[in-house]
Amino acid sequence: MTPDDPGSRPPAPVRYRTLRLCSNGGGYEALPDRRASLDLPRYRRTLEAAGRTVIDARVMLIVQLPPEVTITRGGRFLFKTRDPERARAALAQLLDLLGLDGSLAPPQGR
Amino acid sequence: MGRGVMLMSGGIDSPVALYYLLRQGHEVVAVHMDNRPFTDDSPLEKVLDHLTILRERFRQPIPLYVVPHGSTQVTLMRSTDRHVGCILCRRFMWRSAERIALRENATFLITGEALGQVASQTLSNMRSATQAVSLPIVRPLVGLDKQEIEAVAKEIGTYTISTRPGVCCQAVPDRPATRSRLLSILEEEARVDAEAILEDCVRRATVM
Repeated sequence: MTPDDPGSRPPAPVRYRTLRLCSNGGGYEALPDRRASLDLPRYRRTLEAAGRTVIDARVMLIVQLPPEVTITRGGRFLFKTRDPERARAALAQLLDLLGLDGSLAPPQGR
Repeated sequence: MGRGVMLMSGGIDSPVALYYLLRQGHEVVAVHMDNRPFTDDSPLEKVLDHLTILRERFRQPIPLYVVPHGSTQVTLMRSTDRHVGCILCRRFMWRSAERIALRENATFLITGEALGQVASQTLSNMRSATQAVSLPIVRPLVGLDKQEIEAVAKEIGTYTISTRPGVCCQAVPDRPATRSRLLSILEEEARVDAEAILEDCVRRATVM
């Protein structure tokens, strides 16, 4: 493969642009701009190194930021708070900890 | 009249099922499987509020066992096929309820399940889940449709509690199995130490 071969390039970084109330209205979910496959073991180590308590359920992590947040392998974050500003601040904090990109419009309700 | 153990989720159906049993004069012990951290505090808060209404209406004590279930979910998610996770989860719920029934001298189990309300509520899944227990299971709502159940919930005052905001169970897989084979379920379950899980959960249960 050459450097110009798409197969040799690392996958494009995941970006977060959406933060919205989840279907039952109990929390806010942040969704990536495309289907992702997050390296959860690596993120677990990163978050624990930053002093956060992490439950590793293999296909998802549950992290005490606070608020509590669920991170799925597919890239969905669910923040267990009904306060949009708290969710927004938590998302910014999480993206910073994980080295991910996000520039949000104001949170969307349903 | 008999004494039964009722699984209470905080949803619309379980308080209606409980209402029918209490109306017939049965004694009931409630069990809530506490799914935190895969949910938030809302399911437990809803169950507590449902029981307040029904205790007052029937002037009857209804003990509530809260059984920690989150650690079971973690074990299942780490060790078993995600597609059958809901069925395995239900098997542990039933086992916990049966263990508490034996402790409480109850002779039957009760659920608010109705056929086909959600994709995973199929006959084969119900059979795969309930094969884990031997006590008889009473399903007062099995022949009712959703509208009928909601109408009763509104009448008895539990509907607005059930429909308050809350976080859905995060352990539910994207594509839960709808047609399970018992043999496959048993093979999956053999990947975990079911007895140790059950013993630990019931030992840590609190009564409210």
